Amino acid sequence: MAAASNVIRVAMGDSTDVALAAGGDRQAFERLYRMHANRVFSICARMSGSKARGEELTQDVFVRTWEKLPQFRGESAFSTWLHRLAVNVVLNARKSEGKQASRMDQGDVDDERWDEVARAPMHIERMDLAEAISKLPAGARKVFVLHDVEGYKHEEIGEMLGITSGGSKAQLHRARLLLREALER
Amino acid sequence: MTSSNMTCEAFDAALPDYLEGTLDGARRTSVEQHLGECVRCASLLKDIENISKEAAAMPDLVPSRDLWQGIEARIAAPVIPLATRPERQRRLVPAWMGVAAAALIVSTAGITYMLTARSIKPAQSGAVAQITPTTNQARPNNGPDSGAPATSPNLGVASSKRGGTPSGLAPSDGTPDRPRTPASFAKQTNADRAHSDLVYGREIDMLQRIVTQRRTQLDSSTVAIIERNLKIIDAAIEQSRAALASDPASRMLDQQLTHALDKKVELLRTAAMLPAST
Repeated sequence: MAAASNVIRVAMGDSTDVALAAGGDRQAFERLYRMHANRVFSICARMSGSKARGEELTQDVFVRTWEKLPQFRGESAFSTWLHRLAVNVVLNARKSEGKQASRMDQGDVDDERWDEVARAPMHIERMDLAEAISKLPAGARKVFVLHDVEGYKHEEIGEMLGITSGGSKAQLHRARLLLREALER
Repeated sequence: MTSSNMTCEAFDAALPDYLEGTLDGARRTSVEQHLGECVRCASLLKDIENISKEAAAMPDLVPSRDLWQGIEARIAAPVIPLATRPERQRRLVPAWMGVAAAALIVSTAGITYMLTARSIKPAQSGAVAQITPTTNQARPNNGPDSGAPATSPNLGVASSKRGGTPSGLAPSDGTPDRPRTPASFAKQTNADRAHSDLVYGREIDMLQRIVTQRRTQLDSSTVAIIERNLKIIDAAIEQSRAALASDPASRMLDQQLTHALDKKVELLRTAAMLPAST
């Protein structure tokens, strides 16, 4: 009963704060930040493979959220909308980083090179799952995080990443195999 | 190979669809038979299922520091390019746009008339130019928080604050550094300059306060670069002011000063919008 009322309170608080924040109330927006920061940070850090980058991206996500809140129509839960926005910010950040990003992140491979990379041994010591995910090639990491951690469907992932759902399935399977190898199971 | 007639290679190929639950009945039966007979493939399936379960149950991560300060500084920055402002402020936009449009029309018409009048009746140019300070007063109200589409600092500050000075417009006689009536021009530009200095000063003070507040959030090397560039710009501003003091009618020097002030505003705005360092 207490848990149920908590859920209701949180849901009510969220929608009230969303409305207030959309009207320019920074205190309400800070409450939304406090409520969702860890979740958004988790998405950003896991998808980017770096906690430091995740913190930068989390700030970008909430600045973007502040800008876009007036466009939020409440057709989905605020958290769903926010998480999707976080994913888009991470993906767009990677695109805009362009050549510099591809030089810095040698693991970021495109679909054509995926098989070659998947066959290569990861050469990593035994590690925990979170660390192993961060060591995955960027393409595999994004699909794995979106599917197995965040629960998105292959069709949704394909749409977000601009690949086919079959490509998403293939990358997910490769990611799982690489993780198994990294975890020495 | 096992008695199910499915090889391990065939199992590997079928595994993604098996995990997705998209195998047809016969293929699914073959896979399950193979799993009952092959330790290697059963172990592989179990490991992958465990990885997926563990991934789904991973707890949320916690940032190493409170990120709110950096976010707040950015959403409170005076100019937010590409921003869609909150509803409360958006309601103000139509009124503001009306004022801005009127200011733009007055400014454009004033400058055009002034140039035309100068080419016909040079002696009247001073009187015409008096229109422009009115436009200057309207623009600063478009300030940073108004939701103005000030995607460029030059739009928000330079053209407005020094708009009364025809500094960007060469007269038709091909002598861009001198007006036809130096005395009246100098008198007029002095008045405009005093006004624009006031507006620039306000903008720069406000931005500097924000940058000072954010100083601890920024990377020290970034702060050092910003400060070094500010010193260079400040030196340019001082030199332009000194030169203008001895030659108040020089449009070239006026442009130089405007340019330097614009650069300072642009740099401070960029610094105010920088994300916090990690």
